[in-house]
Amino acid sequence: MKTKPKVWHLFIALCITLLIFRFASVIDIILLFFSYIILLASDFSNAVSQTNFEFIDYLVSGILIILLPLMIFFKFWKLRIFQTSLDFATAVIVVLLFVFIFAPLISGSHPDFQKNIGLTKLLPPVSGVKFLKFERKTKGEQSQFDKFIKLKNQVIKSSFDENMIFVDSAHLGKKILYFQNQKTFEISRDSLTSSGTIPTLGTKYFLLGTDEFGRDIFARLIYGARVSIFVGICSVFLSFIIGLLLGSASGYFGGMIDLTLNRLTDTFLSFPAIFLIIIILALFGNSMFAVIFVLGFSGWMSLFKIVRGEVISLKQKDFFISAKMIGLSSKQLLIKEVLPVILTPVVVNLVFQFGSVILAEAALSYLGLGTGSNHPSWGSMIDAGQNYLKDAWWMIFFPGLALIITLYSANDLGQKIKIHFNPQLSK
Amino acid sequence: MNKDFVKLILRRIATSAVVLFLMITFIFILLRISPGDPAQKFISPELSTGLADKVRESFNLNSSMIDQYKSFLINLLKGDMGISYNYREPVFQVIIQYLPFTIIFSLISFFIQIGVGGSLALLAVRKINKPLDRIISRMNLIFYALPSFVIGVFLILIFSEVLNILPSSGLRSFDFDFFSPFGKVKDYILHLIMPVLTLSLGGIAVFFRYLRDSLEETQNKPFVLNLRANGFDEKAITLKHIIPNAAGPLIAAAGVELGMLLGGALITEVIFSLPGMGRLAVNAILQRDYPLIIGCTLAAGVLVIMSNLAADIIRAKIDKRLIKDILN
Repeated sequence: MKTKPKVWHLFIALCITLLIFRFASVIDIILLFFSYIILLASDFSNAVSQTNFEFIDYLVSGILIILLPLMIFFKFWKLRIFQTSLDFATAVIVVLLFVFIFAPLISGSHPDFQKNIGLTKLLPPVSGVKFLKFERKTKGEQSQFDKFIKLKNQVIKSSFDENMIFVDSAHLGKKILYFQNQKTFEISRDSLTSSGTIPTLGTKYFLLGTDEFGRDIFARLIYGARVSIFVGICSVFLSFIIGLLLGSASGYFGGMIDLTLNRLTDTFLSFPAIFLIIIILALFGNSMFAVIFVLGFSGWMSLFKIVRGEVISLKQKDFFISAKMIGLSSKQLLIKEVLPVILTPVVVNLVFQFGSVILAEAALSYLGLGTGSNHPSWGSMIDAGQNYLKDAWWMIFFPGLALIITLYSANDLGQKIKIHFNPQLSK
Repeated sequence: MNKDFVKLILRRIATSAVVLFLMITFIFILLRISPGDPAQKFISPELSTGLADKVRESFNLNSSMIDQYKSFLINLLKGDMGISYNYREPVFQVIIQYLPFTIIFSLISFFIQIGVGGSLALLAVRKINKPLDRIISRMNLIFYALPSFVIGVFLILIFSEVLNILPSSGLRSFDFDFFSPFGKVKDYILHLIMPVLTLSLGGIAVFFRYLRDSLEETQNKPFVLNLRANGFDEKAITLKHIIPNAAGPLIAAAGVELGMLLGGALITEVIFSLPGMGRLAVNAILQRDYPLIIGCTLAAGVLVIMSNLAADIIRAKIDKRLIKDILN
């Protein structure tokens, strides 16, 4: 019997591919993890001072890349969510979630990494640049901490690397000669050997080309996906909470509360939300959390209407009345009686909302009011690419394509869930 | 019936006025509590402090917030929205300069959206669940997902940079004044093709979806079956019975869409640097031009409310039972 591909097949295939391509990095991360544990035991304060978001990010993705496929393969693959059959939309969503978790492993370089802009800027996709790398061999005994730091620097890609230069070509002879933009530079080997440095020549490939600052578009795309998904999930969750609480309060209590909240919702609905969003972000400053907050607060209206309508019709149902008679508190009523009933329309709404939030975030970034320059974002990549339309089509093409595919998949998925819950709807 | 209509309109105007008032108050407070000083831009360090205070006073920014709000409301009732900080002209006149373009631009796009979306929906429904319907629906889903700024940038890439046949920004060529009248019209059209396309594609998808779903639903209703069984002409059934019955949700959606368009097709205007309300509003916000921000908000709000009202009135005209629903 031929089986259709399922979600967990794709997930495991992605994990294995990533493992093969980044095997060395994974091993390094595992080593780093163990040396971190040793360090935690021996030198706690230093270890803590070395802990930051990036570090944990790398550790988590390195460990999960081993653990997740094993866990899914041996235990969780029977779960219904993993058994969903695969089509374009679900595949895209799976890939996005995969990228979200494993961004540091996939990207292979820091999204803001730039060096020798003259040589690396605006390179077309699939172009390689040669580089010289100077590796310093340290001799003698090392403390645990030094080992840890060395390993950490090796694993975690930073936005700047002083030991690496991009070159047009290089000659490693008695003297080290390298050429950059028709200029020749030379370093004598003696000075290098005395400090124990060994130069190596390699090639760095830019899969999707580079932008105007010589940054790798592939890496930026990966991290941009992360930002989009994070903003999407957080603000959808925020509007879910607001819509649920206000909607059920309004539907449950009725009267003055209902009237006020309804008017408030109408006020927000009758006004183009984008204006308000831009006003708030432009006047109060834009950061990732500001964007999440504002988008979350501007998206609760449709949820409010759905929840309110459902709760009002629910109030007359027998099971609800009897649950109330038994003496459940409002909180229990909300969680045990209301939530399961309204889950279907709410989930559909949330998926659509997710798409529109991602779109809104990209549009805001395009206008320069997005998550800020600290985080690469698809919208700001398109904005930057607009100035280089003639020279570098890849700067807008790839983020644009990623955005379109993501939005299409979110909408398609929403539609599918809707049909799944209401089978009488035709496609 | 007429009495109901008047009641509907009056009631809507009253609630809309309240909504607008709340909105403006909200934005007024937001503007005043936000950090930063709009007068900063007009004050250079060489200016004496007395002069700097005078600038601030001319913007009416040095009194307390409540006083500012009071004088703002009184002026607003007189019909005076203040003087734009940047343009140094009454807000009303600034808006009047930008409004005609936005109205013409959005109406063109609106009719294209309804026309193309509607005819595609009719086409698809006639061949429901056949390949043609599937292809249109699938394409529609893709266009629905296309963000306007991606469409716009891709269009510029293809038509301006690669093919070099359409201008990429603005409304007029730089040698516009030397053209013959016919040439001027042609110039406008050339400049508007890409913006209209950018603005319309998403809307076409929305209208298509609304109309196709409700057409399909209406098509399978018993009364249509009855008409068919009685041997009525299929064309007459579609024109006289199915479309009027299916148009309800479309008209409501059209009202919302038109309102959004009239409020300023912000992103499209920014991409193609067109002189419309959306760009005016964004620039006002970025330059902290408080009176102009409130003026733009007010204009957008009025237009949104008016188009929603128009949509409701048309709906009520078609189906008189709706008046009660809308009234409540």
